[in-house]
Amino acid sequence: MRHGALVYLGAFFALALSWTGFVLTPQMQVGQMVATNTVPAGARYPVARPGLAQQGLQVYRANGCAYCHSQQVWQQGTVFDVMLTDGGTNQPGVVAALQAVMPRLSRPEALQLLEGLPKPVLRGVSREEAESAVKKLTTSGAKATLWIEAVGPDLARGWGKRRSVPEDFLYDYPVLLGAQRVGPDLADVGVRQPDVGWHLRHLYAPASVVTGSVMPGYPYLFEKRRVVGAGSADALALSGDHAPEVGYEVVPKPEAKALAAYLVSLRADAPLFTAPFSVGASGGPAAPATNAAPTAGGGVP
Amino acid sequence: MVSPEAKAKAAAGAPAIDAGSAEETVSCRWPLLVLFLGAAGWLVAGSLLGLLASIKFHSPMFLAEPAWLTYGRVKAASAALLVYGFCVPTALGVGLWLMSRLGRVALAGPVLAGFGGGLLHAGVAVGLVGVVRGDGTGFLHLEFPAGAAGLVFLGYLLLGTVGVLTLYRRREARMEAAQWFVLAGLFWFGWIYSTANLCLLVFPVRGVAQAAINYWHTGNLLGVWMGLMGLGTVFALLPRLAGREPGREYVAMFVFWVLLLFGSWTGIPATAPLPAWMPALSTVGTVLSGLGVLGVAVIVHQTLAGRYGSVWRDERLRFLGLGVAAYVVGGVMQVVEALSGRSWMLHFTWFTAAREWMQVYGYLALVMFGTVYAIVPALVGVDWWSRRFLRLHFWLAGAGLLFVAAPLAAGGVVEAARLLNPALGFVEVSRGTLMFLRLSTIGELLILAGNGLFFVNLAGTVAGICRRALADALRRWGAETTGEGAAA
Amino acid sequence: MSVEMRRPAQPATEGREEPTPQGAVPMWLFILLFVALFWGMNYFDRHGAWFNGRVYAPYRSLAELQMHQPPTGGINLERGRAVYESVCALCHGVDGKGKPGQAPPLAGAEWVLGPVNRLVRIPLAGLTGPIEVNGQQWNLAMPAMGAALSDEDLAAVLSYMRTSWGNKGTEVTAEQVGAVRKEIGNRTQPFTAAELLTVQ
Repeated sequence: MRHGALVYLGAFFALALSWTGFVLTPQMQVGQMVATNTVPAGARYPVARPGLAQQGLQVYRANGCAYCHSQQVWQQGTVFDVMLTDGGTNQPGVVAALQAVMPRLSRPEALQLLEGLPKPVLRGVSREEAESAVKKLTTSGAKATLWIEAVGPDLARGWGKRRSVPEDFLYDYPVLLGAQRVGPDLADVGVRQPDVGWHLRHLYAPASVVTGSVMPGYPYLFEKRRVVGAGSADALALSGDHAPEVGYEVVPKPEAKALAAYLVSLRADAPLFTAPFSVGASGGPAAPATNAAPTAGGGVP
Repeated sequence: MVSPEAKAKAAAGAPAIDAGSAEETVSCRWPLLVLFLGAAGWLVAGSLLGLLASIKFHSPMFLAEPAWLTYGRVKAASAALLVYGFCVPTALGVGLWLMSRLGRVALAGPVLAGFGGGLLHAGVAVGLVGVVRGDGTGFLHLEFPAGAAGLVFLGYLLLGTVGVLTLYRRREARMEAAQWFVLAGLFWFGWIYSTANLCLLVFPVRGVAQAAINYWHTGNLLGVWMGLMGLGTVFALLPRLAGREPGREYVAMFVFWVLLLFGSWTGIPATAPLPAWMPALSTVGTVLSGLGVLGVAVIVHQTLAGRYGSVWRDERLRFLGLGVAAYVVGGVMQVVEALSGRSWMLHFTWFTAAREWMQVYGYLALVMFGTVYAIVPALVGVDWWSRRFLRLHFWLAGAGLLFVAAPLAAGGVVEAARLLNPALGFVEVSRGTLMFLRLSTIGELLILAGNGLFFVNLAGTVAGICRRALADALRRWGAETTGEGAAA
Repeated sequence: MSVEMRRPAQPATEGREEPTPQGAVPMWLFILLFVALFWGMNYFDRHGAWFNGRVYAPYRSLAELQMHQPPTGGINLERGRAVYESVCALCHGVDGKGKPGQAPPLAGAEWVLGPVNRLVRIPLAGLTGPIEVNGQQWNLAMPAMGAALSDEDLAAVLSYMRTSWGNKGTEVTAEQVGAVRKEIGNRTQPFTAAELLTVQ
């Protein structure tokens, strides 16, 4: 090519195309996003994290947690199940309906299905099959619902109920999705482990709560000091090799408390239009579904 | 046309890059030495921090007490030093040299270039302090806080302007492949770095748009920019050092356009919480840019067919050859990783780390080593302080790369397979990768040793010419005073 | 002897040693490019959802996403819980245990588990005067907290109350709520316990 101008224009065009695709369009599509509603409860989502958890996000960033932990759960598919919630009073009718829905089911197996409700009785069928099964079971006197389940290796591992979506990160700065899973994914860790005390002990000495962990400890986020009087209410309940010597206690500094509050606020369990799945009033998340720390029970000390 | 005598000499021994006109050499000398020496220093610092981070896997509480040595900060610092401390200054320096020599014109504004190099290194220093103090941004490959990033960008701006001006003043209108590549590279870095820093640090965008821009920047920096700068020097030096006459440049054109048009779409993983079309486009872009990698293999084969022996014998060409091989391997790894995104998910495993090692260290760093080893003697007029260190560096770098990339890649594949089984606990899977990590730590140790030799060699050479210049100056001053004394 | 960084001269056209001209793009590379482009277009067509900003993998189109939405209609206990926690829980407690001096408990309360028509009247018009709940005497005033709710939402929240915290009642339908609303008309006067006991 003869002219520098041609090379320059070509490079400009190529980069402009890429910029339009991966900088401008995301800004238009997800950069202008506002809060949405859960489906079907209609609760607002997301609710901004409480202030301590937002400070915790900065501690997360400053200590490079994103170099080992990801915060993006993926989903391989969505399947339809039939969830039987109540066996009703007409047992023979319900058993007959079950056998109609699952042709190879024997009578003892059907009776066994009626114990320990609610449970899914049909898994991974098409929507039409599931809906017709629900109708058959409901007319026979039982209570059944169409159940939508998100599936994938991450979800099977218990790392979330559905994939991570842009709405989960709406109010965060910076959004640290991580690129490596040296440690488990944290998108849903607030649901898996809502105990702030566990998180504090884990940050101080990971090997004390997870045997064989390769995670480094963060003792500089804590203070080891002499016990005064009855001791601090915040003192960590450590045992064995990791416990401080007699007369000393380990107390979390504000950064540690903030980080623990942030970790406990990480949830990816709200059903949305863009990531639908069924959640029951008994077995689902607290509504209004929120990214904030749970208000009942495990509050931040 | 290369004369038969030159061809014979090339086949026999290691030809040196000629000194060119005195004007060209003098104009390039000090800016480039500032860039290269600083870069070599940052490289050693970065490898040291990287080794420390690697050791922490085997002993998690090792040096866990000081906040500035925690794994997250040390790892971030080491990655930033490798890219912005070593790769960026060296590539810019080599690019400037190529513009000057291939255009047969002196560098346009050596003082400006030297000042730009100083700003670049100052930015890296400020950024390093920021990251270990906890002010790191958290964004991958954009770790420096806004102030340091601004200094780095200013330094780049000065160097880029000098480069473009030098190209503008070239003696011949027709450009060869290396010049297109470097011109595009100089332009590319400015746009992606400024956009990413503005949209992430200065006027942050909302939500996952930050992640999209971060992915875009990383894909363009590692894929396109490093590809352009490294391939530019490969296409210039490889034929000449092999004593081969470069032919028509259509394959280079093919590689150029494929890299620009498709390589700029890589970077977004399949798992990202972004609309589905983004990872889809990214996968397509990655696979298509793999063709550019194939094109590079074709060019190298066309250039070096029948000369592989002479490549091996030349101590600098070895680096270039290994670097290009790493480029091809890294490209293949990237395609495999992208295609695995919907099923066996190589993305979050050690395979990704292995691929980045291959692309950044294996390809760009090795190509830059070879180029620096080739051009510094021409710049300073003396040979390297220690040729043995040069040879040793190659073996350490090659062995180090093997010991880092191969175990991490294998470990990543094993990890991906085991993670698909939900019955296997995560800690169990994680402990299963420790054996591979041990090997990679050995590799990092070898790489650190090699980098140390490079720094010592470069420092020794520069110190040598400084000492000689000082001695000359003293002698001249002495002659003047005695002359005056005699006259008086 | 040094190799000059000279501009390469134009290659000679005669006496070439190699069969393929050096520097030319091999045909197979071009073919591969077109094959890859074709594959790429297909891949994007299948997985790209045509640039729709609301479709995230693994869904391939907005239609597929809509097909996977949970069924609407019917009593939605999730909705009931959401409404309960934003409207009723402030006084009656998230756990339905009530607060002394503020609101009586709903868990195990006979007024909640009794006739539907009795229960629906309470949020629609309010409650005042002495009332016995779970063996305790209460004498407070409840405003018409459900008057502003739609039939569906009120039915959902009452169903949630009747099926939570150990309560084993039936669900309340929106039709029942609508019927009671029609019966009481524009009544703003809160009910008393005595009045409610006359309703079945």
